[in-house]
Amino acid sequence: MEKTSEISDKLKKYLKDNIVEMKNPRERRIFLRVKREAFRESLEYVINDLGFKHLSTITGVDVGTGIELLYHMVLNDAVVLTLGFSVPKEKATTRTITDLVPSAVLYEREIHEMLGVDFEGHPNLIPLILPEGWPQDVYPLRKERQFEELRKIALET
Amino acid sequence: MGYASTIKVPFGPQHPALKEPENFIFEVDGDIVVNVTPRLGYVHRGIEKGFERRTYVQNLYLAERICGICSHAHTTCYVQAVEELLNVDPPPRAKYIRTIIAELERLHSHSLWVGVAAHEAGFDTLFMYTWRDREEVMDLLEAISGNRVHYAMNTLGGVRRDMPADTFQTVKKCMDSFEKRVKEYLHIMKTEQTFLKRTTGVGVLKPEDAITTSAVGPNLRASGIKEDVRADEPYAAYGEIPFHVITAGGGDVLSRALVRSEEMLESISIIRYALDHIPEGPTRIRVPVAVPAGEAVSRVEAPRGELIHYAKSNGTSKPERYKVRAPTLANIPSLAKTLIGSHLADVPLVLAGIDPCFSCMDRMVFVDQNKDKQWIWSMEELKRHVKVERD
Repeated sequence: MEKTSEISDKLKKYLKDNIVEMKNPRERRIFLRVKREAFRESLEYVINDLGFKHLSTITGVDVGTGIELLYHMVLNDAVVLTLGFSVPKEKATTRTITDLVPSAVLYEREIHEMLGVDFEGHPNLIPLILPEGWPQDVYPLRKERQFEELRKIALET
Repeated sequence: MGYASTIKVPFGPQHPALKEPENFIFEVDGDIVVNVTPRLGYVHRGIEKGFERRTYVQNLYLAERICGICSHAHTTCYVQAVEELLNVDPPPRAKYIRTIIAELERLHSHSLWVGVAAHEAGFDTLFMYTWRDREEVMDLLEAISGNRVHYAMNTLGGVRRDMPADTFQTVKKCMDSFEKRVKEYLHIMKTEQTFLKRTTGVGVLKPEDAITTSAVGPNLRASGIKEDVRADEPYAAYGEIPFHVITAGGGDVLSRALVRSEEMLESISIIRYALDHIPEGPTRIRVPVAVPAGEAVSRVEAPRGELIHYAKSNGTSKPERYKVRAPTLANIPSLAKTLIGSHLADVPLVLAGIDPCFSCMDRMVFVDQNKDKQWIWSMEELKRHVKVERD
């Protein structure tokens, strides 16, 4: 098995200044945050050169000023690389990765409706989970949305 | 090639194959499915948002209720994430108990699936038999934990209760009889023409498609790909227990049935080994209420495949963000792929073939409440109600 530290070294060497933050809290886990403009290139490197084929899921996190997108990629013998970057809330758009990883199609739809991130080039960015008639500008997982308010909306739709 | 027009056939939300609500719109050309559009969320309860407003201890109960079949898989994934953030390691005995419960859960989940698949294949006798045998496993879980569905064994830093000494013998005895039954089912599946004709070559998922669509669990292994979180990234006591990762080459519904059945035999041997080698000692350690800031990714092999949780803490007693991805959601893209090109009549069988679990998958953000307002209670109202009931 390729060691977690070897993978981190390769990533450091390849991405250099594009790395915003890199953590290696334990064996089999790497958390890597890159600059927004370097994300696509980093993902291609991770898939094509490092052999990460399996996308476990994408997590969207409201970090106050922006939305952080975390792509959990898994290598065959189970090293989980969480590759992330942030988009500002006022212009929450990024390019879709469905052309590189087809399985991202549902995860991107989920983040689109829950956190209001637009994925440019996604084949069909329609609601996946929320009820029909849910107001378009209400993104439930954003921190400014309170549970009580969401409950009220759910009852009215 | 083909006809100029296609017809759209809606399936669900009253699902033809399962007792859970889901909607699929099939575009058919004659009898052949040419396109599939899933619509999820009918049992969406807003659990991820719910995690953010509860303490880590309260969230144990919430994680338990993500799914009614693999409740133990979800709590195991949850406690592992939080234990990693707290930097604590549960005692070895607790890890063995987690493993035993997890495998018992896999046994009852897989036998449930064999029953559903047999039913969809038009073989109801097998359905009745497997569900009868499944009851015995449910009884075991009840004997160990006091509960049939939400076993509530996991807690932060270990397990909530030890396994009573007398249950060891009961479990072993049940495993002996259950093993015979599973071997019998395997024999039936491999030889019975009713079953073979209905499942061979139906709903084929090619290995390369399984990889590009990031399929997980028995569906992935039925396409010949040897991946299993228990073996790849051992958690609980799996690192100390020998077992095989079962694969099959066909990628069809038959292969999925064989993989799940043989996995049941593996589960039985894991349980036996664990019962014989379980170390003595404490079953839990106390953990602090507040969790230091950090983030963790936790993975578990649930009966339906890879389950992943992501936790982000902020130093308080409540998580900043908690993300759950249940295996069924990961299997939807590959399911859509296998359904395209199949006969409309095979759709229920192929759908059931991935062993979907929709409540698990739909957990994300909001309540799918009944529109009838009297059903919506605040926590206070609920507490009041419970109190009245108790009085």
